[in-house]
Amino acid sequence: MKLTRLGAAIVAASLVVAACGGTSSGAKTLKIGISLPLSGSSLASAGPARDGALLAIKEANAAGTIKGYTLAPYVLDHAVNGQYDTQQGAKDMTTFVSDSAVMAVVGPFNSAVAKVQIPISNEAGLLQCSPANTNPDLTKGDGGKQLRAANPDKINYVRVATTDDIQGPAVAQFGVQDLGLKNIVIIDDQSVYGKGLADQFAAEWTKLGGTVVDRQGADPKTTDFLPILTKFASESPDSLFFGGVTANGGGLIRKQMPQAGLGDIPLLGGDGIQDQNGGVAGSYINIAGAAAANSYSSVAAIHDIPDAAAFKDKFTAEYKTDPGAYAASGYACAQVIIKAIETAASKGDVTREAVRAAGSDPNTTFDTVLGPIKFDAVGDTNQKIISLYKVDMALADGKGDWAFVKQINYGQ
Amino acid sequence: MSVVQDLPTPGGARGMRTRASAFGGRHRSLSITLGMALVAAVLPVLAGVPPFSSFQPQAAWIDGFTNAGVFVLLALGLNIVVGVAGLLDLGYAAFFAIGSYAYAYAASPFGNQILGINVQAALGDAAGLVFWPMLAIGALVAALFGVLLGAPTLRLRGDYLAIVTLGFGEIVPIVFLNSDAVTNGTNGIGGIYRPYLPGFGAYSATNPWPYYITTVAVVTLVLILCYRLVESRIGRAWEAIREDELAAAANGINTVTTKLLAFALGASTAGIAGVLNTAKLTVVSPDQFTFVISFTVLAMVVLGGMGNFWGVAVGAFVIYTINNVVLKSLNQFFQSVGVPILKDIDFLQLQFLLYGLALVAMMLLRPEGLFPNSRRTRELHADVVPVEEDAEGEAAAGGAAGGAGEGGR
Amino acid sequence: MTAPATSAEAPPARSLSGPAAQLAVQLALVAAVLAGAFAVLGPEQFINALTLGSIYALIAIGYTMVYGIIELINFAHGDVFMVGTFVSLALLGTLGFTAAVHDPLLLVVLLAGDFLVTMILLGVVGVVIERTAYRPLRTAPRLAPLITAIGVSFILQNLVQGVPPYFGYGPYATNAPQIFPTDAFLRVGGTNVPVLSLLILAVALGLMITLQLFVGRTRIGRSMRSTALDRDAAALMGVNINRTIAITFFIGSALAGAAGVTYGLQYGVTRFDLGFQAGLKAFTAAVLGGIGNTIGAALGGFIIGFIEVGAAAMGQARWGPAIVFGALVVVLVFRPAGLLGQQVGERA
Repeated sequence: MKLTRLGAAIVAASLVVAACGGTSSGAKTLKIGISLPLSGSSLASAGPARDGALLAIKEANAAGTIKGYTLAPYVLDHAVNGQYDTQQGAKDMTTFVSDSAVMAVVGPFNSAVAKVQIPISNEAGLLQCSPANTNPDLTKGDGGKQLRAANPDKINYVRVATTDDIQGPAVAQFGVQDLGLKNIVIIDDQSVYGKGLADQFAAEWTKLGGTVVDRQGADPKTTDFLPILTKFASESPDSLFFGGVTANGGGLIRKQMPQAGLGDIPLLGGDGIQDQNGGVAGSYINIAGAAAANSYSSVAAIHDIPDAAAFKDKFTAEYKTDPGAYAASGYACAQVIIKAIETAASKGDVTREAVRAAGSDPNTTFDTVLGPIKFDAVGDTNQKIISLYKVDMALADGKGDWAFVKQINYGQ
Repeated sequence: MSVVQDLPTPGGARGMRTRASAFGGRHRSLSITLGMALVAAVLPVLAGVPPFSSFQPQAAWIDGFTNAGVFVLLALGLNIVVGVAGLLDLGYAAFFAIGSYAYAYAASPFGNQILGINVQAALGDAAGLVFWPMLAIGALVAALFGVLLGAPTLRLRGDYLAIVTLGFGEIVPIVFLNSDAVTNGTNGIGGIYRPYLPGFGAYSATNPWPYYITTVAVVTLVLILCYRLVESRIGRAWEAIREDELAAAANGINTVTTKLLAFALGASTAGIAGVLNTAKLTVVSPDQFTFVISFTVLAMVVLGGMGNFWGVAVGAFVIYTINNVVLKSLNQFFQSVGVPILKDIDFLQLQFLLYGLALVAMMLLRPEGLFPNSRRTRELHADVVPVEEDAEGEAAAGGAAGGAGEGGR
Repeated sequence: MTAPATSAEAPPARSLSGPAAQLAVQLALVAAVLAGAFAVLGPEQFINALTLGSIYALIAIGYTMVYGIIELINFAHGDVFMVGTFVSLALLGTLGFTAAVHDPLLLVVLLAGDFLVTMILLGVVGVVIERTAYRPLRTAPRLAPLITAIGVSFILQNLVQGVPPYFGYGPYATNAPQIFPTDAFLRVGGTNVPVLSLLILAVALGLMITLQLFVGRTRIGRSMRSTALDRDAAALMGVNINRTIAITFFIGSALAGAAGVTYGLQYGVTRFDLGFQAGLKAFTAAVLGGIGNTIGAALGGFIIGFIEVGAAAMGQARWGPAIVFGALVVVLVFRPAGLLGQQVGERA
């Protein structure tokens, strides 16, 4: 009974939609798909990426970047019951593919979803730009070829973050060479990202003469790391590496280290724990509190973003909050896509294939909020720069923030 | 078979219904096939016309119907276990996982290497042919695990069985996650071959039709088998056990093997669903098989009407559509309608709340499900008059058990 | 502890010699498990396990009580615990306490107030849930309330998550004030024992003993036991069934609230989706110990704590949950009613 009424409402509303769609002709509409997990626990990290992309699209429309066309975002959430869902991710990509107005897609967020989406977008020749995927297998080697089975040479998937086979070793080099650390213990959160990063880190650490004293994978849902930390404490390490994200325990591990007697040793991590300052709920520094000091992290991107302050200002003006960790990446992805559409439009060829070719062209330099980016032969960014940070509790009005230490360029 | 059909329709009486159900009984397979064909033909047409086509493109609807079909299969299988045999299974996703991985091993370079075979070398471009036998093999493998789990635990009663199955459902993904060498751990197995059928449209990522037709065919087949089973001697035995296990045993039903059979058949349906889903996604990883799947399928069964196969299928379809289409579209919906306050709310953030409210409301309004099984309804209403309940309950159990006993002679 | 012999005290099938002796046997089993765990884990990990086990035990008791009286697997119970962590942090946050409090008197007053208010509020939440989502389904098919329970679980999660900045805490981890100093240690035989762990253990044990006394010695307790045994007969004897069930939900939810407070003190953080996993483990604890049996729930909670901590201590944390559920399957295969449960016929 309820259902019937809802159904009636849907029918009525859809008729309105159809009517509206019919009347608004003038500038033609091109859609940019945004495919991210946007409900439940994923929202915290993927939400800012969506907001960044929406902002870029809004600005492009206001500036009339693409003459004769209006850009419309088409946001689909592939979290089901609060968690990213591969089946839904695949369906959303099918939705984009089958809507001929969709020219390109921003997303996805998780590597597991990328693995089901890339074969679909590749077959359809639809440009896709991920703001967050760092798993090397998505593009490189046999793994990449497997995903591009339909059109192996037509690159349609690009990403703005550097891969973990660069980020992991960079942190290891920093730990051994700059910090003089030797005996490390490792926790990973058993995710594709966290475990992969920890594997890359551990290999390089050993190669540089360091010792991995112990390593454990932790259930991502656990909040009690004391048993693992207590065991580590008995092995007297001089540092701890966490492969994973804040949501899976990053800040919590740091918070519990003093309780286990490991308060004095540094914690190293990747971009998964490099989020906002201590004043923002749910950030690594916020959760770890006073214990956050003596933490190091990396970002697989350039630190000296040309207009970091300007981006922050306009993001804050639009959304009334600071840009989250992936806001700039989402914005950059949308910039890449808009530029690709612009290129295609300038040639009078607004088709998916033209947009794909323009977006993955190895010779084009994209001016993004992350700095100038070029994509290589498999769609990875040429901006192989790793920035390293340390928590400074004096920043952000005493709430603590990540202070830039150095950046290493692995490019060329 | 004949024994069952000759029995008078329980609760009988109304002319039209009796005649219709008599036709259904005699030509069950035919009517299911015709019904499914009709539904399968009407759905894409509906998806292509205005009210629905403005939600999402037709191809996206078709793809969604295929996904819903996977859940319909899961719900049909769980209905055998929970609805017909009355065994509460809270870890059903485990069998879905086992079916999925079974196909991954048979139809991917990584999996083949583990098994020491090479399908691609043997079949070349037609490697996807392996899909067809795997539908049966996946079902068998899942059934085998169903028996392995069921054999030691089925003597547990009611909710203790529920918690054991729940535990099994938690263990299976953890084993797939942690056994890196043979399962590729958290990365999962990729590069899985899509099905191949000579003379039929190519199964591809961008063409939803072949998957849709295949899913409809598989669902039809499973639905026919379900009805045949439940109307057979075994089906009667399951219902007898559900109503009163002691009475069933006293009437000569081997309760252990009968329950085990329900478990195995339920598991095998999940195995088929796993093969189908994995052949479509081409990737399998441990994070696809959480408790949420087990629970969602259970909700589909209870909400559809336990014990009633077509009701359960509709329940699965309805819940999938609410959860994966309606709740996802609310933002676009209210923005396009332009209701002042509502269009500013991010409904994606309220999905949990709305889904939860929908579950509670539907349960409170129709505790026996949308399309209750006729016998279940009588149980429910008999609750009001306890004296009759006992008489009728015993009669039903005795009659069912008697039927089973007769057939066994 | 000798419970007065009442009509509700059913003679167990395999009684030793009355309830007192039976209780002694059960407590002895708990002690044996504790001693064994201590020997295997060593003092530091033993304390970790005891603390974790205490929290599981407090949640498990709520499960076991509700199951005992209406045979409902209350899947929303884990989320009630989650709400407890948030009520506690909201309470302390409103009063302006976010860091460790070092004034002993103030600390005692704060803790007592925090526990009391959170437990009462959560008790009310439990009663409201029972009244709206379960009571109307008391004569419905048994799986119907199971589905509403999970519906309620989703509703609670979404209400806590809310839609920031309008209301709610968002989908992030939120800090819970650790007003009890986490760096206070008591030196016992060469081991630093965190005072907080002792406090949590004391609170858990105190509440369990109080509950035992309450159920065993009061009029309401007797109503609860008789309702659990035979609802219709109890009603005929003049027990107000609705009220008794409501009280059971109140107590169970209040204990989950207490678990929420201790959780916040120990881990200093919480999240909207915390309840599901905790609830699953606690439910497992309740079944492991023998569902319907309060001491069994406590025993189950401690055993699960020991397994999880033990797995981590052996360097196999990632197998922890699998071992927990594996142990459950094995125990149930050999003791189908749980460690301390009694085999009784299933009510239709």
